[in-house]
Amino acid sequence: MFSVFSADKYLRFYLIIPAIVLLLLLTLFPIVYILYFSFFEYSSNVDVPHQFIGLENFKRLFVDEAFHNALKNTIFFTVVAVSIEFALGLGFALLVMNFIEKVSIIKTILLIPMMIAPIAVAITWKFLYAPFVSPFNHLMMKLGQAPILFTSDVKLAMPSIIFVDIWQWTPFIFLMMLAGLASLPKEPYEAAQIDGASAWQQFRDLTWKFLQPVIIITLLLRIMDAFRLFDQVFILTRGGPASVTDTLSFHIYKVAFRFWDIGWAAAMSLFMLAVTLTISIWFVGKLNVEK
Amino acid sequence: MKLIKFLSCVLSLVFISSYVYAITVIVPNGGEGDGLRAAAKDYTALTGVEVEFVQAPYEQVFDKAANAANTKSGSYDIVLMDDPWIPFFAENGHLAEMGPYFDALGVDGPDNDFLGKSMAICRNPYNSGPYVCIPYVGNAQMFFYNTAAFAEAGLDGPPADWDSVHAAMQKISASGSFGYVLRAQEGNPVVAQYMPIFWSFCGKLFDENRNATVNSPEGMKALEFFLKLRDVSPPGAASMNQEETGQYILQGMAKSTINWPNWVTNFEDPSQSNVVGEMTYAAIPSGDCAGSSEIGHWALGIASASKNQQAAFDFIHWASSKEQIDISAGRGNPPVRFSTFTNPELTSQAKFRHFPVLMEAINYSTPRPRHPKWPELEQVFGVYLSKAVAGVMSPKEALDKANAELDKILK
Amino acid sequence: MLKNNLKKPIVFLSIVFALLYTLFPFLYMISVSFKVKKDIFAMPPKYFNFNPTLEHYWYTFFDQIPFFKFMINSFIVTSVSTILALIIGTLAGYSLSRFRYPGTLKYHIAFWILSTRMMPPIIVVIPIFIFFSYFNLVNTRLALIIAYTAFNIPFVTWMMRSFFLDIPKELEESAMVDGDTRMGSFRRIILPLAKPGLAATSIFCLILAWNEFLFAVILTETEASNTVTFAIALGVSQYQANWGYMAASSTISVIPIIIFAFIVQKHLVRGLSFGAMKG
Repeated sequence: MFSVFSADKYLRFYLIIPAIVLLLLLTLFPIVYILYFSFFEYSSNVDVPHQFIGLENFKRLFVDEAFHNALKNTIFFTVVAVSIEFALGLGFALLVMNFIEKVSIIKTILLIPMMIAPIAVAITWKFLYAPFVSPFNHLMMKLGQAPILFTSDVKLAMPSIIFVDIWQWTPFIFLMMLAGLASLPKEPYEAAQIDGASAWQQFRDLTWKFLQPVIIITLLLRIMDAFRLFDQVFILTRGGPASVTDTLSFHIYKVAFRFWDIGWAAAMSLFMLAVTLTISIWFVGKLNVEK
Repeated sequence: MKLIKFLSCVLSLVFISSYVYAITVIVPNGGEGDGLRAAAKDYTALTGVEVEFVQAPYEQVFDKAANAANTKSGSYDIVLMDDPWIPFFAENGHLAEMGPYFDALGVDGPDNDFLGKSMAICRNPYNSGPYVCIPYVGNAQMFFYNTAAFAEAGLDGPPADWDSVHAAMQKISASGSFGYVLRAQEGNPVVAQYMPIFWSFCGKLFDENRNATVNSPEGMKALEFFLKLRDVSPPGAASMNQEETGQYILQGMAKSTINWPNWVTNFEDPSQSNVVGEMTYAAIPSGDCAGSSEIGHWALGIASASKNQQAAFDFIHWASSKEQIDISAGRGNPPVRFSTFTNPELTSQAKFRHFPVLMEAINYSTPRPRHPKWPELEQVFGVYLSKAVAGVMSPKEALDKANAELDKILK
Repeated sequence: MLKNNLKKPIVFLSIVFALLYTLFPFLYMISVSFKVKKDIFAMPPKYFNFNPTLEHYWYTFFDQIPFFKFMINSFIVTSVSTILALIIGTLAGYSLSRFRYPGTLKYHIAFWILSTRMMPPIIVVIPIFIFFSYFNLVNTRLALIIAYTAFNIPFVTWMMRSFFLDIPKELEESAMVDGDTRMGSFRRIILPLAKPGLAATSIFCLILAWNEFLFAVILTETEASNTVTFAIALGVSQYQANWGYMAASSTISVIPIIIFAFIVQKHLVRGLSFGAMKG
C-alpha cells in the first residue's frame, strides 16, 4: 500500500495532508463561524432572523461587567494556582530528587491526580467540600461548629477551586522538574563546590539556569490549561457564589447555552482565542522548531 | 491489505447502531424523571411503543433541549419542562401546538379535571392561547415547618402572617437550632425562594409597560425581610440549593423552609429523614399582601422539530390521564388533577396529608412572568439577590443594579 | 553531617505526607461508594464501622442507567479515535521530521498544528455542534471519534516527530541504497524502532479521549453515544445529588486510568512535554 507513494517528490505533502485536513475542520470552520456570528444578535425564535449589529458585540467587550469579572477571576486563578503549584512542585522535586528514582511506584501514585478525568477530580472534591458529607465538616460539627461551606462561601470558593487545581497539577510540575533535575550536568556543581559555593548559590547560579527550558515549557503548558478552566467550575460551583468563581470558559458556556446569546459568546471567544494564540506563539518560539 | 481489513472491522464497530426508538423523551434527574420513566415502562408494555429516555441534570435538560430546538435536530420528541422554561420554548416556536391532535380525538382540549392554574401555564399566550404542553407534576411552593418546634416557640395555629412566624423563628434560632433555612444560590434557586416573599409584600416584577420594578419600595421591604430570614438561617445560604437545605430539614437542624412539594416524600421517608411525621405543610404566610406561592409545574411538550409528533402526543395524553396521574401521585409526584387531589385512597395516607393544602396553593399561586428571556432574567436577578444575601452588596445597591440589568434585557 | 541525618527523615516524612494527601480523597470517595445513603450523612460519621453495600454499583450498572452502554461507547470512541490519530499523526510527524519544506512553510505548519492543541474547547464547541448537525451526525459515536481524533493529532504529530528525530536518518538511507523504497524502509525499519514512542503516545491519546467531558456532554444526547464522563455528571442534580452513584461511577471510570498510569510511567515526561523533553 505504501509503495504507491515511494518515488513521488510530493510524498512529504501526502503524508501530512490528512492531518491538515482534519485540523482545518477543527479550527478553520469554527473560527469562521464564530467570526460571522460575532457580528449578529442571535435569535432563538424560529420566525425571527438573526440581526446584524456590526461591532456591538466587540464594543461590549470593553463595558460588560460580567465579562470583566470572569476575566479577572480567570487571571487571578491562573496566576495564583500556577505560582503555588510551581513553588511546591519545584521545592518537592529538589527535596526528593536523589531518593525517589529508585522507587518509581511512588512517582506513579503521586501522578494519579493528573491522569484521571478532570470531572472525576471535581466529583472527588465535591465530596470533600460538601457540607454534610465531607470529613472536614464532620470534624467541624463534632467540635460544635457550623460546617464550612467551601464552595458556598464567597471568600472560600475561589481558594477551594485553586486548591483542587493544586492537588491535581502539582504532580505534573513535580515530574517535569524531577526529570529536568535528573539531567543536570555534574561538572559545574563539582567545580562550584570546590570553589566553596553555598547550596543557595549553587541553586541560584546553576540549577535555576539549567532548568530554564524545562521551566518555560512547564509553566506555559500549565498556564494554557489553567486559563481554560471549566470542568471544576462546572461541577463544584457553577460560577458562584455571587460569580466569584466565574471563569472565562464557564462564562462563555453560560452565555451560549443558557442565554443563547451566541453573538456575544462568539465575541468573547475571539478574545480568548487572541490571548491563547499570543501565548502559543511565544511557546512555540521557545521550543526551537526547525525552520 | 491487512490494514484495510482491520480498519474496516474497526469502522464497522462505529456504525453498530442501537435500537431505533419510536419516541425520545428528555427528563431531569430525580423524582419527576423517574416517575415518567416508570410510567413509560407501563406504556410500552401496553402499546408496544418503545420510549427512550434521556436523563440529565436539571440545568442540562434546558441546555440540551434548547440546543436541539435551536438547531432543529429533532433529537427529542418530548421535553419534560420546568415551568420557567416554557415561555422560552413556546414563544420561540419550539413547541408543537396540541390543538390539531386534540381535534383528531374529537375534543376541545385537555379535560376539566385539570386545575385551572395548571392549565393556564401551558397556553401561549398565558391563559388564553392554544395549548403547547400538558402539565404533569403539580408543583407549587409550600411553607414547611416543624409543628412541635413552632408551637413551643409560640405559634398558635397555622402560620398566617410573616411577622408572627418570624418571631417564632427568632426564638428557635436563639435556642440552638435554626428557625429557617434559606435557599439562596444564585440564579433560579434564590429567585424561586424570593418570589413568594416578594409577592407577599406586594412586589411586582414589571409594570404594564414591561419596565422592571424590582427596586420599588415594596421590593425593598421584601428584600429586607428576606435578609431577616437569612439571619435566622444556617450560614452559607448564598450558595445553598435544594440538596443542602433539604438536608438541614431532614436532619432536624432547621425547622422551616419554603420548598417544593416533591420534598414531602423525602421528609416522610424513614430511611432518609429524622423528622417523619413532624412537619406541617402550609400555605405561604402573608405580608402586606396575601401570600402566594410560585407555581412551578413540570409539563410535557412536543418539540416542533420532532418527526414523531403523533406518537409523542399519544404518549403524553396517556401519561396525563386520570389513572396515570393517580399512579404518578402514588410515586411521589404532586398531581395536577382535581380528582387526584381529592382521591380518598391517597389523601387518607399520612404522606399525602398535604394534598388539600397543595391544591389550595396551586389555586392561589402566581406564575412566573411569561417572557421568552426569562432564563436570562432569572439568572441576572438571581445573581444580585444572592449577592445581597452574601452581604457583598447592600440591598439597595443590589436591587438598583438588578433593575438596571433587567431593563437592559427587557429592552 | 547533621544536615544529612536530618534530611533523610524529612524527605521520608514529606513523601509519606504527599502520598496520603494524594490518596486520601480517592479512598474517601471509594468508601462513600460502598455506604448506604443514610450512612453517608451520618452524624457522628461512620468511617470504618459501616455495613458495606453494593447497592450503588447495582444501581449504576443494572438499574435505570445504561452504564454498560456508556462504557461500550467510551471504549469504542476512545480506541477508534486513538488508532486514527496514531495513523494520521505518525505520518505527519514523519513528514515533519525527515523532509525539507519550501521556505518557512514547515515552521508555519508546525506552529499551526501545535496551536490547535492550545485552543480552549469551549470556543469550538458550538460551531462543531452545528457542523455535525448539518450532516446528521449529532448523537453518533462517529462525531465524537472525529472530534477526538482531531484533538489528538497535534499531540501525536509532535510526539512522533520527536521520536523520529532521535532515529538516525542513515538507517533509511542505507536501506534505500540497498533498493528499498522510502515508505518501505519506513515500514520495515523506522516503525519498529519507534514502537515505544507509539506505545507512549497512544496511551496519552486514550487517556484524553476517555476523560473528555465538554464534547461528550454537548455532542451526545442519548445512550446511542453517551460516554462514561457524561454518565458521571448524571449524578449531579439540582434537587438531590446522588452521592452514592457519583462515587460509584467515578470510581469505575477512574480504575482504567490508574491501570494505564502504571503502564505508562516510563514515558510520562516525554508525553507531557510534547516530546520536548526526554524522561
